[in-house]
Amino acid sequence: MEESFTNLPTSHFVGSVPAVVSEEKKATNNEVPGANLQIFPPNNAGSGGQGYQPIGSTSDGGGQPATNNWTGVFSISSYTQYFNVDTDIVLNRLISSLYPTTGDFVNKIDANPDLYGLVWISTTLVFAIASLGNCATYLMHRRSDHSTSWTFDVNYLNVAAGSIYGYALIVPLGYYFVLQYLGSSVSLIRFWCLWGYSLFIFILTSFLLVIPVEFLRWTIILIAGAASASFVGLNLRSYIQSNDLTIVAISAFVLQMGLSIFIKMWFFA
Amino acid sequence: MSNSDTVPLHPSSQSDIDEIENLINSYPSSVLPARPPSPPRIPVSSTPPPPPSFIPSNLPPPSVPKPTPVFSPAPSVPAAPLPPIPPPRGSATSSSSIAGSGFGPAPNTLTEPVWDTIKRDLSRIVSNLKLVVFPNPFREDPGKALRDWDLWGPFFFIVFLGLVLSWSASVKKSEVFAVAFALLAAGAVILTLNVLLLGGQIIFFQSLSLLGYCLFPLDVGALICMLVGNVIIKLVVVAVTLAWSSWAAYPFMSTAVNPRRKALALYPVLLMYVSVGFLVIAID
Repeated sequence: MEESFTNLPTSHFVGSVPAVVSEEKKATNNEVPGANLQIFPPNNAGSGGQGYQPIGSTSDGGGQPATNNWTGVFSISSYTQYFNVDTDIVLNRLISSLYPTTGDFVNKIDANPDLYGLVWISTTLVFAIASLGNCATYLMHRRSDHSTSWTFDVNYLNVAAGSIYGYALIVPLGYYFVLQYLGSSVSLIRFWCLWGYSLFIFILTSFLLVIPVEFLRWTIILIAGAASASFVGLNLRSYIQSNDLTIVAISAFVLQMGLSIFIKMWFFA
Repeated sequence: MSNSDTVPLHPSSQSDIDEIENLINSYPSSVLPARPPSPPRIPVSSTPPPPPSFIPSNLPPPSVPKPTPVFSPAPSVPAAPLPPIPPPRGSATSSSSIAGSGFGPAPNTLTEPVWDTIKRDLSRIVSNLKLVVFPNPFREDPGKALRDWDLWGPFFFIVFLGLVLSWSASVKKSEVFAVAFALLAAGAVILTLNVLLLGGQIIFFQSLSLLGYCLFPLDVGALICMLVGNVIIKLVVVAVTLAWSSWAAYPFMSTAVNPRRKALALYPVLLMYVSVGFLVIAID
């Protein structure tokens, strides 16, 4: 137990400096020569890294880490550990979410899963499909009937927000509980991170879906949906590492395809 | 402390002196509820402090006022926005009870005409607006604008924007207002939380205030778009005001976080203003 305390990842706390932290920081710095406030160990050089304690990998894999970073549910500093990413790390993860064939995204995020991607990708997606859905619906109606005028349906925003936020929050939660029940220990934060980044491709496709050719739209959404779903499925399978739970990965694939078809049919009809 | 000490007053100490004696006469026993960006500039524990010998003529002084021209600007002091002094209106009654107990008559903020109170708040809003939104290449530290933050300005701007959007809409007016208001209010809170979560250093309400003031250009743009019907002009107007709003918010947000995370803090600001701009164009 002493061992884990000498590896306190407190060096990223800005502004919260209790006096006792300083000596632990010195101890950490002896073991972690490259770790200071500005430089993080490269996350894709394998999990664990040099002393950056992976959160939740020691004890439960749950969303509430039993580690020493938790200062209460209403304190900001207990959540800063999930936003401990720089711009280049986020860009790297975004780009790698577009490649669905390799299942190594979970290795990338294992040391430092972040919720920044989940929050802002889903928010961007809500806005994108609400606004571009309006544009696309207008263009489609104009093709069939040249006298329609532009109307902005605010209801698109409500439905978009409800469905995207609901999907991104509840589906990983559901998988977490199912997998906990089935015996493997998984980490909720990594699930949220994974599903969050999987939604990035839909932002790009929603720009393409404005093109008012129906056949093209279906092609685009099916390709994007398949890419995103296989991203989720492959990464889930490589994370669980147990072959008789492949059905879980397949169900995640199906759900993601379902989301993509819902987006097409409701917003880009 | 006699009147014969001949240390010449530093030009900036007059405002200090006024603040000190206002504090003495208004809040003798306690410190103001701490508004972080503008702490009182005297040590609270010092009672009685030296200032009683310098009391200007404005508030009824318990001791002899010093007759020098230094104090001629004193009567105009309460009208200007003093940073730590003007109490929130709700606490005027409590301050009067504190002041009434030992230090003379009630302070002016309770007995002044309502127009004076409103004028003071309005002048504060205008001065904050000039500080935040209008180009001033010589401002001393763009990242630390708004020492004297308030939430009235942002409130007015958000409600005004919601109203303009609601007027412009032809159907579902109340839904449009609700969406706009919720988007802006929740957006300001979430943007502030985002900066805090990324490890940045900002003060919560100061950031809310700043993001609210940066909405002013979009208010102007929305008003123009409501009066103009042409889509191209709307696009141009919204683009210009969007750029202006983002320019106003940029220095504050970017200095609040670690430079390696600057884009992560700025992107949500841009997203919010783009979505509001889109609402402005799209609502008709």
